[in-house]
Amino acid sequence: MNARRGIKTIIGSFFRKRGQMGAEASSATFLTTVFFVVAIACCAASIVMWWFPYHLFSDEVYNVVVVNAPESFVKFNEETQVIRDQESEEYGDRYNYLANWGNMTFFEYSFDGYGWTEFIYKDTDALYDFITFGKWMRENDAYLTVVFPKDFDQMIKDRQNGITDEKPQVLTYFRTNSMEYSEMKKEFVDKYLSLYQSKIRSDYGLKITSVQDSRIEDDMITTIENTSGMRAFADTMSRTFVPILLFVILLYSSMSIGTNVIAGQKERGTFTGILLTPVPRYAIVIGYLGGVVIKTMIPAFFIATISALLAGQFNILAFLALYLYVLVLAIFIASVTIMISVINDTVVSAQTAFLPIFLILVAVCVTCIQSVSDRADFYMYLPVHGQFYGIGDVLTGNINVPGLIVSSLATLLLTAVMTIVTVRLLHSERYTVSIDTVDAKEVRRFKEGGKSSLLERFNKATDNFSYFITELFYPLVVLSFYQFLAMIPVVVSYMRKPEYSSFIQDLANVGSVEDIMNKTFEIFGIFFKDPLFLVMMTLGYVLIIITYFIHAGRVWKIKGIKNKIASCGYPLNNGKHIAVHYGLGFLFGFIMMTCTIGIMIITGQVTLGGFNISAGGIGAFIFNMFMWFPQGASEELMFRGYMIPAFNKRYKVAVGVAVSSIVFSAFHSLNPGFTPLASVNLVLIAVLFALIYLLTGDIWMTSAMHTAWNLTQGNIYGLQVSGNEASNTVIKVLYGSNANPLITGGAFGPEGGLATTAVTVVCLVIVIILLAKKKRTTK
Amino acid sequence: MIRLVDVHKSYTKERETIKGVSFEVHEGQIFGLLGPNGAGKTTLMQMIATLMKPTSGKIEIDGLSGDKDLLEIHRKIGFLTNEIKLDPMSTPNNLFNFFAELYDIPEKELKDRRDESFARFGITPFADKKINELSTGMKQKISIAISLIHNPPVVIFDEPTNGLDILTSKQVTDYLKELKEKGHAIILSTHIFSVAEELCDEIAILVDGKIAAQGTVGEIIKQADVESFEKAFFKIYVENHIE
Repeated sequence: MNARRGIKTIIGSFFRKRGQMGAEASSATFLTTVFFVVAIACCAASIVMWWFPYHLFSDEVYNVVVVNAPESFVKFNEETQVIRDQESEEYGDRYNYLANWGNMTFFEYSFDGYGWTEFIYKDTDALYDFITFGKWMRENDAYLTVVFPKDFDQMIKDRQNGITDEKPQVLTYFRTNSMEYSEMKKEFVDKYLSLYQSKIRSDYGLKITSVQDSRIEDDMITTIENTSGMRAFADTMSRTFVPILLFVILLYSSMSIGTNVIAGQKERGTFTGILLTPVPRYAIVIGYLGGVVIKTMIPAFFIATISALLAGQFNILAFLALYLYVLVLAIFIASVTIMISVINDTVVSAQTAFLPIFLILVAVCVTCIQSVSDRADFYMYLPVHGQFYGIGDVLTGNINVPGLIVSSLATLLLTAVMTIVTVRLLHSERYTVSIDTVDAKEVRRFKEGGKSSLLERFNKATDNFSYFITELFYPLVVLSFYQFLAMIPVVVSYMRKPEYSSFIQDLANVGSVEDIMNKTFEIFGIFFKDPLFLVMMTLGYVLIIITYFIHAGRVWKIKGIKNKIASCGYPLNNGKHIAVHYGLGFLFGFIMMTCTIGIMIITGQVTLGGFNISAGGIGAFIFNMFMWFPQGASEELMFRGYMIPAFNKRYKVAVGVAVSSIVFSAFHSLNPGFTPLASVNLVLIAVLFALIYLLTGDIWMTSAMHTAWNLTQGNIYGLQVSGNEASNTVIKVLYGSNANPLITGGAFGPEGGLATTAVTVVCLVIVIILLAKKKRTTK
Repeated sequence: MIRLVDVHKSYTKERETIKGVSFEVHEGQIFGLLGPNGAGKTTLMQMIATLMKPTSGKIEIDGLSGDKDLLEIHRKIGFLTNEIKLDPMSTPNNLFNFFAELYDIPEKELKDRRDESFARFGITPFADKKINELSTGMKQKISIAISLIHNPPVVIFDEPTNGLDILTSKQVTDYLKELKEKGHAIILSTHIFSVAEELCDEIAILVDGKIAAQGTVGEIIKQADVESFEKAFFKIYVENHIE
């Protein structure tokens, strides 16, 4: 059995001491772009069609539980039943979406639900017993419970007759596990209950008043069973963080190992030798697949075991189910990498081609996290989704056996298809032989007739595209990673405080993305008073800086720590130069900010409100001050010191300046109070810093300016730094009553106002003159 | 042993790289393919080694051809080309064992074969050194040892003495002669005339994908009507090359 021995040998080769490839970058393949386009198309489709799978597969609910329904409400329901019947007839069977397609628009889904609403009547004395209400809603497919007081009708009459002034209170409880329910509730309250309120007056011959007779009080209710404390935390982590961690571990290790094996061997020229052995192609593929799976399973197995133990799962079956989920996922991911490895000729092109798949799978994880508590059973049976939910289920003590079997089989089926395709590909000489022999090159030249072909131009475009994407996303990834890390201890400590529960309560009530953003920045405001947060952020920025040094050294192949640091715009060889430039930069930053404030004072926008710092806040103030140093340095490093030379290596320096400035501005666009003028200002400031970088040749001065600017703005004058509310400040600057946000920048702080524009433009002119002068002298 | 019948190969529709090549190589014969760069030598050899399929025509190895006999053919051929490289971070020992296992050589035989083969080429002292620490000549000798690990009846060597010093070249050519005496069928491509003259029983001169002349060294010289083989080659090339 040569095939079996071949498989064993190839798997064995993974565990022999083998070399790393000295891979050279090659242009992104055609396929990369195809995958990327598919990824983008999926994202676009998911926006347009987001409700379609939701309605098709979710256990959607339309009903309403009515507690202590007064006679008048029952009667009203009976009357309106005719309309609802008509509506549901118009829309047809509520599960038949193809038939309803034409009737439904993007925003209409909740209204349609209203057409199908059925009322379930219940009675209870306990008006606040939300546990029972939750149970009733679960049992009856309801999204809403409306609770009337026991003698609602009588109360209304009494009020009308002037016996009492009190408005009877109607309580509504809605499910929180999906955003839709909140909107459906709104719809129901605004349309249906309001209609009822006006109806009861006319129907009962009551006099019409301009005020409503009853008061509706909203409350939310979680229908999943309540857990609390550490258990709840562990469950949430088990359902969100752990599965995503396992996914990322498998994806990352599979990418680094799987793309190396075949594409790497092709690149090193060692693959042909293996193809010439009498080992069948399928055995070669299975051998490499097995090797990748075993290697990727080692860290995944370790993490899965630790997670299960931390989650308190000591059941042997739970471990087996968990390992099975992870193993199936590992096999699936490995088969994808092996296929990509076969298609590509170099490690780098294979990794580039794998990146979109990496992103798609991470996106699947993210969608899974969003609906983790309210998913439809259907997802349990899907490949990848099933694994994600399955891992979470097992870690929280539920084993869904049919889900485990079906999703595993479905995933393995996909894997089998991919493996068969891979084996087929290995029979094609396009993917096995490097045809870059003299003949092939000549043929190609002959065919193209000296002109670059469409494919070549396409390759060049995709190559440029992926270069831009990589350079632009790198700071985002690094920043979010370290900020996330820095947040963990702060959030954990915050979770023990009483403010936390009310904050979470607020967060559950938010309706729009904007609300969520504002809430997030609100919490940042709280954190900024916390020395722990400031220290962690400082540490995070320092780590970003170190990461960049290492990254630049790796990408630009620079040896020696001093050279690495210098390549990012921090030359260390001249201490005097550093001191002078840093000092001057600090002074300039301070002057610029002071001028800005000066303009605002002169124009009467703000007044100085005296000293503000208190003895209690001095600690936070000092930590905050220190934070600005690595903060300014890291931003300068990301957007100037690294990004400009990175683009300059391939394009004109203007491209680097333009792109880095736009990205710099875009990075701040999510901050609260962001305005178009703010974006212009940030671009101007970024261009100013970029030109100073070009003028001085390093980022010592701009780092100091950046730090001084933020520090002066936030901690001396106490204004918002790019939308972040300042908390620890020396002087309180008060906005005048007639302050014009156009000049002051409003909630975004001075950076969003014309005062900054004026100061920046003046500085820009000076720097441009200096730069032109320097150019002339060097010429 | 090896039989090519009207083999054509084109990478693109517009141009053929190999334009109808036929020849036969028997046991105990060294067949030389001679030609300038770009004549199609490597393409031809890769096709014989099954790495590429001919666009039309037939290639038979010991009566076997095509996809269904692929693995059987792999057992019968040993292919050495500059494009097949050794894993730079591995060691000769590791590589030998790895390929021996892939060629399904019984464990019992493995050690003897390795010792014999390493001793013949003087690899033994370097058996546990990393490949990238070894000299070009040593690498080539290891490549030969590994490509003939399964003692194949058909040996296809693409420029085996390329870049080697005279001493190592001699070791290689001596080994080829020995293989020939043992009855292996050998195809050799080269552009070194002395090697071709000394080793080959039959030579085909490949120009622009076609065999421009074929026969023993003497026959080719006679056919071209010049004094030396080198001159014959140039004459044939000039007559057959299309600008």
